Amino acid sequence: MRKTAVVMCSIAGLILCFFTSLSVGRMYEAGSAMPAELQEEQVKYRLVLVTQELNTPFWDKVGETAVEEAAKNNVSLQVWGSYGSNEDDFLKKMEIAIASKVDGIIVQGLDTAEFKELTKIQAGRSGIPVITVASDVPMKDSLRRTYVGTDHTAAGRMVAKELISKLGTKGTVILIGGSRQQYDQDQRLKGIQEVLQQYPELVTVYAETSDEREKVISSAREMMNKYPNADAFVAVNTHITDALVNAVGKRYQSGKYLIYSFDDSPETRFLLERGELDGMIKQSPEEIGQISVNLMVSWLDGKTVPLDMNGYYTDITMIKAKNRP
Amino acid sequence: MNISILKKIWILAAVVLSLMASIWIALTYYNQQTQEQYNDILQRYIRMNEASIASKELISSLNNYLHSPEPAQKEVLGTSKQKVREAKYEVYKLRNTDNDFELSNYINLMDSLTETVDRTLLLQAEKDTEEAGKTFAEATRISMYISEMTLTLIDKELNTYYPFYQGIMEKSEALKRLGLWLLLLITFLLIMFTYWFSLSITRPLLSLSRAAKELSRGRFDLKIEVQSSDEISFLAKMFERMRVNINNLIMEIQEKAQLEKELQDNKLLLQESQLRSLQSQINPHFLFNTLDTISKKAYLEGSEETSDLLVNVAGLLRYNLKRLNRSVTLYEEVRVLHQYVEIQKARFSERLQFHSEIDESCLHIQVPGLTLQPIIENAVIHAVEPREEGGVILFAIRDETDHVCVVFKDDGPGIPEHIVYSILNEQDVEFSGHSTGIGFSNVVQRLRLFYHVPNVIQIESISGVGTKVILNLPKIRSSENDVQSTDRG
Repeated sequence: MRKTAVVMCSIAGLILCFFTSLSVGRMYEAGSAMPAELQEEQVKYRLVLVTQELNTPFWDKVGETAVEEAAKNNVSLQVWGSYGSNEDDFLKKMEIAIASKVDGIIVQGLDTAEFKELTKIQAGRSGIPVITVASDVPMKDSLRRTYVGTDHTAAGRMVAKELISKLGTKGTVILIGGSRQQYDQDQRLKGIQEVLQQYPELVTVYAETSDEREKVISSAREMMNKYPNADAFVAVNTHITDALVNAVGKRYQSGKYLIYSFDDSPETRFLLERGELDGMIKQSPEEIGQISVNLMVSWLDGKTVPLDMNGYYTDITMIKAKNRP
Repeated sequence: MNISILKKIWILAAVVLSLMASIWIALTYYNQQTQEQYNDILQRYIRMNEASIASKELISSLNNYLHSPEPAQKEVLGTSKQKVREAKYEVYKLRNTDNDFELSNYINLMDSLTETVDRTLLLQAEKDTEEAGKTFAEATRISMYISEMTLTLIDKELNTYYPFYQGIMEKSEALKRLGLWLLLLITFLLIMFTYWFSLSITRPLLSLSRAAKELSRGRFDLKIEVQSSDEISFLAKMFERMRVNINNLIMEIQEKAQLEKELQDNKLLLQESQLRSLQSQINPHFLFNTLDTISKKAYLEGSEETSDLLVNVAGLLRYNLKRLNRSVTLYEEVRVLHQYVEIQKARFSERLQFHSEIDESCLHIQVPGLTLQPIIENAVIHAVEPREEGGVILFAIRDETDHVCVVFKDDGPGIPEHIVYSILNEQDVEFSGHSTGIGFSNVVQRLRLFYHVPNVIQIESISGVGTKVILNLPKIRSSENDVQSTDRG
């Protein structure tokens, strides 16, 4: 009797001891450590990638690969920018980046006076190198170190060639441009014209609208009224494809016009799959992110001096609609 | 181990106290740590905010200075700049792995701000008001960016420290649980310890009280044993000594009572004997004189045998009266025995054959009076009188170095065993026909009282063969013989 009581008591004691020590251990394990204090610079360079169109697949991809590449090079990179092409916000971010004295700015070019002022004067004063990506701004205006991205002239040429292969050497082509990204647009137009000029029987008409959807639609209609025998539409500006397709598609059965776009967005791709679009230029965001970061790092390291002023062009491919005749 | 109760209490108190103290210390330490961590985090926010405020102040003082360029304003501007610089250094200390990028930006923004302010001042000094206004606008923007960046940083801090906060919460939860377990454990241990402790006090007390109860019931022969090593064992030892002492005292008192009782018995027996003899001898002197006269007359008439017989009878009677209450020598006893045998021989003539072997050297020892005669008389009554053919009685006295052996032997029918037992246990056995009225058991009693030796008499009786009575009389009579051997209730 006494023995069992002693055994029970010691078992109870051991159990209590066990649980107590367990909870002591749990208490010590609980909680996470504070972030380590930094005494010295952790990374070589602080880079910023600034874009106007955050949260679009194209720029997400650019940002993703850029961050990866930055991690590989042991530099830190943050993606800043504005949503939905908010210019003011974008310029503010640029200014912050410059005032923050980052080591390098990789930026989507914006063909406006403010942007040029920022890159040329402020960034230049602080000695911050700027690389434009995807959209270029002329070197003499922006003092950018280099450009990484699509060769828009080449893209224009590619579209023009595709057009000819579909249309033949005869017909009317309506080119519709937007108000933004003038420089890119000019490059594209230049490319298209280069090709189409060789075929005198091909008539090209150029129209420019502002970016608003209604304006795009109305100018597309106007053009269709003006040139009822038009064969093809080309959306030279990236932002107007959707509205253009909409306008054209409403007026006529799809298939009457050939429609081409330079836009590489999910909406455009959706239209392509539905067959309302005949072709689009696909760019290489991964390449853009990777190359731009590498160039920036090697420039900062002093390895590649000077950079190619004309820019480093990335691959483009023509994606054609399959179910279109 | 030798722990006193005092020590035990001290140990208990010390254990409890140290447990409580250690828990208190641990809790206080933990609490302080947590508080410091909270404080650190809060300090970070405060410093960031201070930087933001300092930059705003700088802009405001710059604005004031631009509007009214006075030395006082310049001084204010200087202190504002100094503040921004200090805030910058403070903020610089807040860098960690998570916010390196943002914080570097933040610090650089502050640098840019000071630079822009300086540039504004320079332009103002050069009277280039338009440019100064532009740079001032830029400075204002930068100050705004700083404010925004502060918010971003604080946001980031919140994100960074959120898991940490959670950790603190988790920790405090774990601490609560630990406290519960600790409470249970300590309660359990204390109960166990208290139980053991109280047991170690009460158990010896219990056995002590049991022993006391036994003592109070009058049992002084149980040893008091207490298994303990504290004050109670000391108490038990003292108690045990007291018990032994009381036991010894009681023994002494009992012995004394025994002795007194024996003395009393002796007196009573003597009185009884005297009474008996007085009853049987109403007028001894008349009887002696008459017997003497008859003896002389018989002698004169030529009957010498009758005369001798009468002399013997008279001697026997006289001896009876005189010697009963004091010790006599064995010699006198043997003489009286012979006188008695002479008388009995006259009575039984040829039927009684008496043989005696006496070692004369032993006859000087002291014996109680009238001890041999009743025994031989007993033999005559039982072994000779009832039998027609008579009997043989053998009487011997031998020297056995430290004692004298007196043997009576007859060839009578023997004494039944229960009677022998009664005799040896001094119970009265009624025998008829004793001349002196003194029975066998009376003799046994007196012999034992006289010598204080229990085996002073032996009776060997075989039915139909005979009886042998042996008296072992010590040569040296010691009243200080072993008292305890006379254990009689």
